[in-house]
Amino acid sequence: MAVLKQEELQSIADDTIKMALKSGANEVEAYVYQGLATSIGIERGQIARSSRIIDRGIGIRVIANKAAGFSYTNILERRNTIDEATRRAISSAEASKPDLDWNGLPSKKPYSPAKNTYDRKIVELRSEDLVTMASSMLDAAETMDKRVFPVEGGTGASYLSVAVANSNGIASFDQGTFVECSMATVVRDKSEVTPVCFEFNAKRCYDIDPEWVGKEAARLAISAMKPEKMETKTTQVIFTQFAMQELLYYTLINAVKADYVQRGQSAFKGKIGSEVASELVTICDNGLLDGGLRTHKFDGEGVPQQKTSIIEKGVLRSFIYDNYSARRERRESTGNAARAGYLSTPNVEATNFYITSGSKSPEELVSDVHDGLIVYYLQGAHSSNPASGDFSVVATPAWRINKGEVTRAARGVMVAGNIFKLLANVTALANNERQLGQLVAPWILAENVRVIGKQIT
Amino acid sequence: MREVLDRIVDIAAQKFEAEYAEARAQKLFKTAFTVKERRVEVAKQGIENGVALRVLVKGSWGFASVGALDIETLTEAVSDACKMAKAASSRLRMPIKLAQAKAVEDKVVLRPRKDPALISMEDKIKTIMRLNDTILSFDDHVKGCTTDYLDLTGTSYFLNNTGSYIEQDKLYVWSRIVATAFAEGIFTSSREEIGSTSGYEVFDVETPEIVGERAAKRAVQQLKAKPPKGGSFPVILGPNIVGVFAHEAFGHLAEADIALSGSILLGKLGKKVASDIVTLYDDGTIEGAFGSFKYDDEGVPTEKTTLVKDGVFVGLMHNLETACKLNTEPTGNARAEDFRVDPIIRMRNTFLRPKDHSFEELIEGVKFGYYLKAFRGGQANLDGTFQVGVQEAYEIVKGAIGDSVRDASISGNTLETLFKVDAVGKDFELSPGRCGKGQEAFVCDGGPHTRVKEVQVGGSA
Repeated sequence: MAVLKQEELQSIADDTIKMALKSGANEVEAYVYQGLATSIGIERGQIARSSRIIDRGIGIRVIANKAAGFSYTNILERRNTIDEATRRAISSAEASKPDLDWNGLPSKKPYSPAKNTYDRKIVELRSEDLVTMASSMLDAAETMDKRVFPVEGGTGASYLSVAVANSNGIASFDQGTFVECSMATVVRDKSEVTPVCFEFNAKRCYDIDPEWVGKEAARLAISAMKPEKMETKTTQVIFTQFAMQELLYYTLINAVKADYVQRGQSAFKGKIGSEVASELVTICDNGLLDGGLRTHKFDGEGVPQQKTSIIEKGVLRSFIYDNYSARRERRESTGNAARAGYLSTPNVEATNFYITSGSKSPEELVSDVHDGLIVYYLQGAHSSNPASGDFSVVATPAWRINKGEVTRAARGVMVAGNIFKLLANVTALANNERQLGQLVAPWILAENVRVIGKQIT
Repeated sequence: MREVLDRIVDIAAQKFEAEYAEARAQKLFKTAFTVKERRVEVAKQGIENGVALRVLVKGSWGFASVGALDIETLTEAVSDACKMAKAASSRLRMPIKLAQAKAVEDKVVLRPRKDPALISMEDKIKTIMRLNDTILSFDDHVKGCTTDYLDLTGTSYFLNNTGSYIEQDKLYVWSRIVATAFAEGIFTSSREEIGSTSGYEVFDVETPEIVGERAAKRAVQQLKAKPPKGGSFPVILGPNIVGVFAHEAFGHLAEADIALSGSILLGKLGKKVASDIVTLYDDGTIEGAFGSFKYDDEGVPTEKTTLVKDGVFVGLMHNLETACKLNTEPTGNARAEDFRVDPIIRMRNTFLRPKDHSFEELIEGVKFGYYLKAFRGGQANLDGTFQVGVQEAYEIVKGAIGDSVRDASISGNTLETLFKVDAVGKDFELSPGRCGKGQEAFVCDGGPHTRVKEVQVGGSA
């Protein structure tokens, strides 16, 4: 299947706009997406699978009588399937109910460059190269210790391109690349199995270190062996980026989305200008972060991505908006409309959710803890109460910290609390920033965290 | 369709000497929309056509997926898959082998009483609007209601080089309802799901009024609830929690791929893993249930698989690859979300078998503990650590249901907890849900009310 070029994607979008307007739509938007992904999979200690997925299609959003309709198809080769999808989008809108708050699709605005988001070297990677990368990762993990078992992992390279056009004059194109490698390991020794330990690299440019990933995933699993129980107490906890991402995704990130706020589903409603976190906490949503995993010239509606200040020294500054939620408040979109390829309509979503680092090294952060815990991953964060921010999750793997030093792994420890209270209790941030999905953050130390251990009998 | 797939599979087998090759074509049609506080967000309809090609060359898997059905594109894709498998095999230590599945030729035609494809978008929106109305008019404290609706219809075509050709209709109707309430600085959230493979008639049983009231009532009740105490307590699990435990805490560890990765169940076949009263099944044959189907995505007929019988671990859930590796029969658990992904081992309808206790008998001896009624997600780890979030819970005080408890969760080690099951109820209920393992699968889980002597409850009080 040949890759469609910029002109081809854009002309599909343009033709669709014309066709929809001719068929009775008041407004129309076409989102043409193309994704190519090649990957090599590691399973149970060996390279065992390869895959190439070509997915492309068009999502068509139309407005007729203030009601929105949407349709998509993944057949782009024939104009008549796209025309049929267009008609179906219109009939869906006609079957739906008018939305009196609808205030038009976005208009054209200039874009800033999305730096370091496309690398030709990634496009040119062959499956043999991905096999070599996967091998070096596997070797690195196994060389660490023969008890380490690489459960799964792999390497992957992908290219995506997008054309967005609407009846208000937007006609844009962007493309990007991603390369990644990841490994999950456990240590199996006699009757002991450790929790799964995971490490990865993901970049927009060809700059990953599979060997480091393999070594680190192995090192974590080894150090998770021979865990000890921990008593129930309220104490200091360091959250790594993995743990933070899990917690924030289901709580804080939703709370700053304008649609949640407008619907009364956010604990931050009416709190702009108020103190909502410790003064050490500064957060922005940076859609233009250099090389960021969610950096693009424009969002899912063709609106420029930008940097939006959310929390500044603990004070809530702004929410994030797509076009619809912005126009409800007569303001401008912050470029936060995300889409799942051509299959979905835009939703308010964070881009690169950026927590400003502190000045301490990770070692210094650990040395601040007298008797506490460092939590690498959390299990069950998706069961948090999305509206209140209350969570009750398992910390696994997690390690105890005693007098400023990481000692043994802790087993079966739960952490419970409220994300907003936790943010108010942040007392230090490290300087080890890294990106994980949406989140860019350092390790974060919070006080007064409720840790529930197993009853020691 | 058969002719095209036959030619493609033949190319893999003849030209590239694939040991195994399969082609899975799909023509799918989806209708979906979201209603928030009576406002229809966008009414959506979509078509997805495509083919998944999977080959085993020199003991290594190659997979290609394309959104096209024409012979030229498919020829290129299958060649790609074979070449990539060959490249991947360069570092293989143990070539992958597959169990022999019986060749099947079949055409599975569904005849729903109410075919969602024949119901108008207007009618579907009306049904979901009734749900919204029920929830929002239930109580002044109810502030929000988000309702997602999805139906999927279409046909899957499966052909492999070992003689199987199966055409199978697909039908799913699903809805998720989230009600939120707010009072005096407290937010609560309550969730319900509806899911069926029988047809749109699911809304005749789970009517918008019944489901809406259940969701709204819980959200309001939670406003007055208190946070749980953290610590270890006796608990009674409702069918919904038993189900999520059967699925998340035990089921995943009994998926053969996960077991082989070193889950705590590896090497435990034939051994005692639970108290005598525990019998667990994964069953793909329950008519109309959200996790049911006739053939899996490797062409293997589905079945009722016994995982635990009277406390003894008797079987894993398999695909062709793990069945061969462990020298047993495939169980029909290989499922792929769609043509974009390859089939992996997934559960179907997973549940605990009922026994003999009434609810009163379960609760009477508990001095202080918790009755955990409805879940809000759960997760397990290879080492057997599980977590289940709870959206509806009550204190049990001196053998009776007490105050309502908010945002609890339970955790522990799966096997230790299964040994602590000391009484199983005689009622039974299945709930539909969606399971994520890289891909999404529609499933059910459930069982009877069940008492556990002691489990770790996470709470901030």
